[in-house]
Amino acid sequence: MDELLLRALDLAKVKGAVYADIRFVNTTQERLVVRNGVVDTLSNDQSTGFGVRVLVNGSWGFASSQEAKSTEVDRVTDLAVQIANASSLQSKEPVNLGPPVTSRGTYTTPIQVDPFKVSSQQKLQTLLDADRSMASVTGIQSRQGNLVFIREEKTFANTEGAYVEQTIYEAGGGIQATAVGNDEVQRRSYPQMNGRQQGCAGWEYITALDIPGHAEQTATEAVALLTAPHCPIDTVTDVIIGGSQLALQVHESCGHPIELDRVLGAEAAYAGTSFLTPDKLNNFNYGSQYINITADSLRHPGLGTFGWDDEGVEAQSTPIVKDGRFIGYLMSRETASSLGLTSNGCVRASSWNRLPMIRMTNVSLEPGTWELDDLIADTEDGLLMETNRSWSIDDRRYNFQFGTEMGYEIKKGKVGRLLRNCTYTGITPEFWNSCDAVCNQNHWVMWGTPNCGKGQPGQIGHTGHGASPARFRKVQVGVLK
Amino acid sequence: MIGEELCQTILNQALSLSDVDEVEAYLSGQDLALTRFANNGIHQNVVHGDAQLNIRAVIGQRQGRATTNNLSESGIARAREEARSNARLMPDDPDFQGLPDHRIPALIAVYDQPTADCKPEERAEIVGKVCRQAGPTLNAAGFYRTGANERAVMSTRGTWAYHRGSFAGLLITARSESSAAWSKGTSWRMDDIEVDALINEATEKALRGRNPQPIEPGEYTVVLSPYAVDDILGALSSYGMSAQMVQDGRSWMIGLMGKPAMSPLISIRDDGCDLNGWPTPFDSEGVPRQRVDIVTDGVVGVPVYNSYTAGKEGKLSTGHQGGPTGGPSASNLFMKPGNQSVDQMIASTQKGLFVTRFFYTRLVHSTGCVMTGMTRDGTFLIENGKLSHPVKDLRFTQSYVEALNSVEAVGGESKLLMNEGSFCTIVPALKLSSFNFTGVTA
Repeated sequence: MDELLLRALDLAKVKGAVYADIRFVNTTQERLVVRNGVVDTLSNDQSTGFGVRVLVNGSWGFASSQEAKSTEVDRVTDLAVQIANASSLQSKEPVNLGPPVTSRGTYTTPIQVDPFKVSSQQKLQTLLDADRSMASVTGIQSRQGNLVFIREEKTFANTEGAYVEQTIYEAGGGIQATAVGNDEVQRRSYPQMNGRQQGCAGWEYITALDIPGHAEQTATEAVALLTAPHCPIDTVTDVIIGGSQLALQVHESCGHPIELDRVLGAEAAYAGTSFLTPDKLNNFNYGSQYINITADSLRHPGLGTFGWDDEGVEAQSTPIVKDGRFIGYLMSRETASSLGLTSNGCVRASSWNRLPMIRMTNVSLEPGTWELDDLIADTEDGLLMETNRSWSIDDRRYNFQFGTEMGYEIKKGKVGRLLRNCTYTGITPEFWNSCDAVCNQNHWVMWGTPNCGKGQPGQIGHTGHGASPARFRKVQVGVLK
Repeated sequence: MIGEELCQTILNQALSLSDVDEVEAYLSGQDLALTRFANNGIHQNVVHGDAQLNIRAVIGQRQGRATTNNLSESGIARAREEARSNARLMPDDPDFQGLPDHRIPALIAVYDQPTADCKPEERAEIVGKVCRQAGPTLNAAGFYRTGANERAVMSTRGTWAYHRGSFAGLLITARSESSAAWSKGTSWRMDDIEVDALINEATEKALRGRNPQPIEPGEYTVVLSPYAVDDILGALSSYGMSAQMVQDGRSWMIGLMGKPAMSPLISIRDDGCDLNGWPTPFDSEGVPRQRVDIVTDGVVGVPVYNSYTAGKEGKLSTGHQGGPTGGPSASNLFMKPGNQSVDQMIASTQKGLFVTRFFYTRLVHSTGCVMTGMTRDGTFLIENGKLSHPVKDLRFTQSYVEALNSVEAVGGESKLLMNEGSFCTIVPALKLSSFNFTGVTA
């Protein structure tokens, strides 16, 4: 391996690269899906390969291959240089990477039980037990449960002297129950949207979720939703957003607009740009005084936790919003230097054959001081909303609309009727400035988002978002026609 | 690209598995080159190739799978063993009726060597042309991509199918300080990409879209460009055209099959063998793709099937298994064209909106396929039969089924839009009498 790494880096330099890096990645994945009482999927998936990134004439080139052998390393490196030369035919400012990165070391996700040493029978039994519990509830039309385990072994080296080896583990799972009634379909998920909570962890993570133990309740709620009253239509009211829904709100309305590549226009043709332009850095009230948001790649068991990013920059914690004020971006080496800053280690690629780009680490809303019961008791009239059902936000991350699987009325400080088809909409800074209470550490959970799309060709990123329930004043709810 | 002969060798190796009843092997590969640009310059430029082998081992009514991109003898042998081991662990699935029988798919030639072999310098030249013509007044972003993919299926039931195809696409976003516009051209031949026309489409609309005015949300008559119609078909496919979603009770088609739910002007079919689309003549089970009429003259038809969902209903698969796992999907969708031009649609509109495309659309409710999303890259007010001025982007919350029930006119020209993931639509522009906008960007 070392020989191939050095071969690529040396060849790149000989071919005129002022900078080059190479990543070897070997990903092992086990996927299990149970649908309606039968095992739909039991699959072991293996993907191995390497990617070479070079900087020639101030421009980037990237090529990759699934064959880790010397002739292929030569071919791919040569191709990357050829591509970089082509890029320089129509490039703007030459790329400046800022200070060199010379990290060296190894990192392995701390796990208690290696998920790949737990038998597939035990994993299937977990899902079949959950399925049986959901099936016991009258009115459920379809059931699904899933587990996924990932081990990513990655070696990174660059021409500046960096050499790091990492083994990242992920474990995830959950269930969904769908109930069908007269002209109505309702779904409940556990532990969160799409029926999967995921983290950088081992089998112990799945055990702690106790998926079978939550199955009957999940199915019961789906059936109850069929006949629950609708969310009030076109109403402005106070809302308490549950932790997993608020985690997605952070992802969409804070995590994406603070990606500096996006801010600088790199994603303009696809995901869009950002309302958090550089003139707003240190000069904009993103939210109320209760809003503190941090990007942190050190926090377990978040999906954005690692030793070094895919540019070899060490994992770290970066304040993004402090007491409501916007003070930080997610940065790569290139984008940071364009603002006279230094990378805070936020670059990752979804696979060996994808270009590393800025991805969220664990972008989290820090806990506040409230107990949830006290917060509900303090709310005269409003709604409690939990578990995402749909999400949409504009290309500058300004105008959003979310739907949740369930909601509850809050009347005179008490939780009232269950509500279906709940939606809320708003404008990002107005929404976060309307927050007047965030629940404390007792209610704070590191949620996983294993389905974040970005880039062309597309990449699916895995990100973490810690959040606890919080209250927002005067929010528009009920936009479902 | 691996090529037909080597694919056959690899799949034969994958099939040599003892102590199982049946084996199926599916090999899919792609060579992709994509030159991405932003701020009038190339900022990302990549090439990659990968080929994945998926092996399905069947023992009675049990099936296990394994996937690998290690195509050496040892890599294939390991995947084979894992598939068999997984099959042994599975409980019986009473609805699984074994692998599909061999049926011979059509031979369709959609492979263009120059497109598959396109060099980075050629892509840079086209991108350079876009950037030069957009700048300095406008800021261009987008990509130019070329490449080829191949797929092969073999099974112990006698199935053998191989197909390769090429693809090319140019996507342009042109932005001014206050506006943005979009154009996209795709084909399986790079020479079909009308570069100049796409540049003009994006830049002219971006210039015309400057200084948009806010407009109150509400119900509007709309004229949708093919890009917006592409989104509608994509959502209707994702949220309901599959037999699995119908069987699970999650499809918008439930309760509507055999009934008139859309305008009589609307007909939608899936046809993976039509040369006007992006043909893939068989699915990942090797079953030939059948034409499926999803909607005919406004009457909702039937969903698409793979062998599993078809077996549950005593039917034959329509050849729509998308990948090795997951359910069936409609991925070559044609909407029947009408006879009007976009100009005629606008001219016949007293007050309404012209929408270039929708963005970030998500399902709000499966009944009626209620979606929310934003307009993007060129939204204009229509007054007295003319585009009067650009407007700020709007959020909508709208049933796509109801939207297609309000179609008043269908465009006479169709546009092929090939998306990532081998999904394509061939769609005209539409005029709808009513579309529900529920918010506006600040």
